[in-house]
Amino acid sequence: MDAFARSATRRAHVLLVEVPGQWRTRAAVERAVLTRGWSLAMSPADADVLAVCGRPRPQLEKATGLVWHQMSGPRVRVDVADDAPAAEALDQAQARLLGTEHHRHDSDSRPVAAHLLSANKGHDQESLNHGSMDHGDGDDGTMRHDGGDESGGEGMDHGSMGHESMDRGDEGDGTMRHDGGDEGGGEGMDHGSMGHESMDHGGHGGHGGHGGNGGNGGNGGNGGNGGMEMAPGGIALAEGGEDRDGLEMDVLYVRLGPVLPHWPAGLVLRCALQGDVITEAQAEILDAETQQRHAGPTAGPAAGLAAGPARILDNTVSLLALAGWEDAAAEARRVRDAVLEGGDRASCAVKLDRLRAKVARSRVLRWSLRGIRPLGHEELERHGLPPHLDGDTYDRLLGMLERAGDSNGKLASPLPLDKLPHLVTGLDLAAARLVIASLDVHELQPGHVHDETSGA
Amino acid sequence: MSEPSVTTVAPAWALAAVAILGALVVLAAALDGALTARGNDAASGAGGGVATPLWEAARLMRQRRRRTVEADGMLWRLGGAGLVVTAVLMVAVVPLGEWTIFDLDVGVMWFNAMDVMVWALVWLTGWGANSAHSLVGGYRFLAHGLGYELPLMFALVAPVIAAESLNVGRVAAAQENSLWFGLWMPVAFLVYCLGVVAFSVWGPFAPALGADIASGVGAELSGVDRLVFEVGRYALLAAGSAFAVPMFLGGGAGPLLPGWTWVLIKTVSLLLLFIWLRRRLPALRPDKFMELGWMVLLPAVLVQDLVVAVVMVWRG
Amino acid sequence: MFDGIITMAAIALAGVGSIYLLHGITAINADPLAVLPFQSGWQPEQHALSRYHVRWYLATLLFLAFDVEMLFMYPWAVVVAELGATAIIEMFLFLGALFVGVVWAWREGGLRWV
Repeated sequence: MDAFARSATRRAHVLLVEVPGQWRTRAAVERAVLTRGWSLAMSPADADVLAVCGRPRPQLEKATGLVWHQMSGPRVRVDVADDAPAAEALDQAQARLLGTEHHRHDSDSRPVAAHLLSANKGHDQESLNHGSMDHGDGDDGTMRHDGGDESGGEGMDHGSMGHESMDRGDEGDGTMRHDGGDEGGGEGMDHGSMGHESMDHGGHGGHGGHGGNGGNGGNGGNGGNGGMEMAPGGIALAEGGEDRDGLEMDVLYVRLGPVLPHWPAGLVLRCALQGDVITEAQAEILDAETQQRHAGPTAGPAAGLAAGPARILDNTVSLLALAGWEDAAAEARRVRDAVLEGGDRASCAVKLDRLRAKVARSRVLRWSLRGIRPLGHEELERHGLPPHLDGDTYDRLLGMLERAGDSNGKLASPLPLDKLPHLVTGLDLAAARLVIASLDVHELQPGHVHDETSGA
Repeated sequence: MSEPSVTTVAPAWALAAVAILGALVVLAAALDGALTARGNDAASGAGGGVATPLWEAARLMRQRRRRTVEADGMLWRLGGAGLVVTAVLMVAVVPLGEWTIFDLDVGVMWFNAMDVMVWALVWLTGWGANSAHSLVGGYRFLAHGLGYELPLMFALVAPVIAAESLNVGRVAAAQENSLWFGLWMPVAFLVYCLGVVAFSVWGPFAPALGADIASGVGAELSGVDRLVFEVGRYALLAAGSAFAVPMFLGGGAGPLLPGWTWVLIKTVSLLLLFIWLRRRLPALRPDKFMELGWMVLLPAVLVQDLVVAVVMVWRG
Repeated sequence: MFDGIITMAAIALAGVGSIYLLHGITAINADPLAVLPFQSGWQPEQHALSRYHVRWYLATLLFLAFDVEMLFMYPWAVVVAELGATAIIEMFLFLGALFVGVVWAWREGGLRWV
C-alpha cells in the first residue's frame, strides 16, 4: 500500500492560484513543478495540489476556497510566499500527499455540494459589486496560513465547515432540496471530527472562520429557498435570450477567473454565453480596494532588471499554450526562466531568437491566429490602449516576442480594465482567451464596472 | 464470399488482442511522458518520464471520483468508458498477419461505424457533467467532427475501390506483390491519419480538451473516470494506427519476419509518429478547420477516389 | 462468426468494470464526491445543460446530405472496377452535383462561424 501511495504521488498535478503581482512566484512554482516531472492541472478535478502563490486577499481567498472544495482528494494546499523556495513547498506537498490515513479522514468530512451552494448563495450575488464586506472576519482567520503550510491547508476546511453548519439550519425548512435529509445527520458527525482535527493542528484561526461566516449563513438561508421549483439542485435553469439570428437560445452566465490557468491574475470576466459566444461581458478586478494598498509592484531581489522581458515571455507562454502548441509554450517557458534567473544576456538572446523564428515559421499558428480581433490605430487611441497592440492576435504575438528582446524593457503600464469587455464581446471563448492573452497584460487598472452588449 | 484471405481464430484469442492493445496504450503513454519530460526540462530524477503511465494510473486509481450537481451520471460515465470499448471493437477487425478475430465482410464499414460512435461518446462526456466548460468542449468536438468525418470516410473508400472488397483481410491481400495503397494513394492515407488523430481528440484536434476551457470535456473528470477516458483516447489512437496497416501499409507484407510482426512493427511506428506529433503542432481551431475540411480536404479525397477508380477501370 | 466480436466486447466491458471495482478499493474514498462544476472559483449561476447555441447548424445539414451519400459510396466502391467507366461517370456526376451545393453553401457563409 505504501508503494502504491508513493507511485501515486510521483507525478502530482498542481493547480496554481496567482495573487495579483505575484507572477514571479507563480513562474517559480511552475518551473519547480515541471522540473520535478509533475504536471500543471487545468481544473480542480485534475489537481492533487493547490499551490497558492502569494497571500490572497479576501475575495480571492474565497474563490480559492471554493476551488479547494472541488478537488476530489487526496488534496493538499500549499501557500507559497513570494520569497519562499518553491521546490521545498512542493517537497512538503508530496510528503503530505502520502498520508493515506489523513486523506481518508479528510474525505469523510467533505461538505455536500448542495450545502456549499446555499451557504454561499447570499453573498455570491452581491459579490460582483461589493464583494468582500461581509466576509471580513473569516478572512482574518485565513490570513494566518502563510505561517505554516500544514495549518494553512486545514484552515480552509474549517472555513467551509462554518458554512456548512449554517447550512444545516437551512436544510430544515427546505427539505425538498436534493441530497437533503440523510446527509444532514452525517455532516453533523463529521463536523465534530473536524473540530477535533483543528485541535490537533492547533489551528485556532479556523474558529475565527466559523464566526465570520456565521453572519452570512443567515443570508444564505433566505436566498437559498427562493425559486426552488425552477432550480433543481439549488441552481437556476438557464433562460432564453434572443441570439443574433433572432432565435431564442439560452444564456449562460459564466465567470472566467480568478482561478484559471493562463489568465491574468485577479481578473474576473463575467460573460453571458450563448453557445460559446460571448454576447455580453463585465470585467472586475478582485480585491480592488485592498490590492492597491497591499500589493503594488513587487520589489523582489531581482525586480526591475529583467522584469519587462520576462513578463512578456510569461504572457507569450500563455498565448502559445492557449493556441494549443505545447512545444512552443514549453520553449517560451524555458526562455522566460533563463531570463528570470538572470542568465547571461547573449545566451538568452540566442534562445529568444530561436523561439521567435520557430513561432514565425509556423503556418498553422498563423492560420489559426490571423484575423482574430484586429485593432486599428484609431481604435487603440480611442480606448486608451497602448499602440503596440496594433494588428490582429497574430501580429500581437509577434510584437510580444519582438518587445521581449529589449533587455532593458520595463513592465508595461497598467491596462484599463473597462476596455476588456468591449474587446471580447462577439467572440467565442477560444478567441476571447487568445485575445486577452495577446494583450500582454502586466497589470490591470481598476475602473468602473462596464457593460457592453453585442449590438454595439 | 469465396475463400477467406485470413483465418478466423478461436474467440479466446480476443484476450491476446486486448492485451496487445493494452501494451500499445502503455507504450504510447510512456513515449508521450518522455517527450513531455524532455520538453519541460524535467530533472533526470523523474526517470525521463518513461514511467508516466504507471505514476498516472496509480495517481488516478487513488484519487476519488466526483459527481457534479445534477449531472447526468450514467451518460457521463458511459461516454468515458465507451471510448475504450469502441477502440477494442475497432481492432477486432484488424487482421494480425494471417489471423483475425472478426472476419467481417464489411469490416471497413464496421470501423467507420465505430469511429462515428466516438462523436456520441466524447460529446456525452462533455454534456453529462453539467458544467459549462465541459459542455463547450463537447460541442467543440462535434464541430471538429463535421470537418474531419467526411474526408475520413472518403479516404477509407479509396483502398476499398482498389481492393474491390470491404473485407479488411482482402484489402490487405490486394496489396500483396504490388505497391502499398498508402504509397499510391497518399492523399487518402494522409487524410486517414488526420482522421485518426481527430477521433482520438489528440494533438491539433484537442481543442475539445483545450487549456482555454479548463480542459473542456475532461474538466470535471477525476479518479478512475479520468483514467478510462485517457486510456480510451490512447486506445483509439492505437486502434487507428493498427487499422491503417491492412488498409494502407500492406498488412503483414515485409521481408524475413513473419506477417504478424510486421503488422505490429508498422502499427507501433505509426502510433509513435502520432504521439510525437502531438506537441509539435498548434491546435486546429474548430471554426477555422471546418472550412478547411470541406473546401480542401473533401475535394482532395474525392479527386483521390476518382483517380483510384479510373486507374482500376483502366487496368482492368 | 460473431463469437470473436462478442468476446472482444465482453472482455472490454469486463476490463472497464473491474477497473472501476478495483478503484473502489484503492481510492481514498469509494463514494464519488459531490461537487459544484468548476467555474474559476465561482458558483454556477445556471445549470450548464441548456439550449446551446450551435453556430454551425447549417454545416450539420450539409453534413447530413453527404453522410447519406456514403450509403451509395460503399457498395459502389466494391463494384466500380467491375462495372467500368459508366459507374465512375455516374457516381462522380452525383458527387459533383452535391459538391456544387457545398460550394454554394460555402459562398453563402454556411461554413463560417460568428
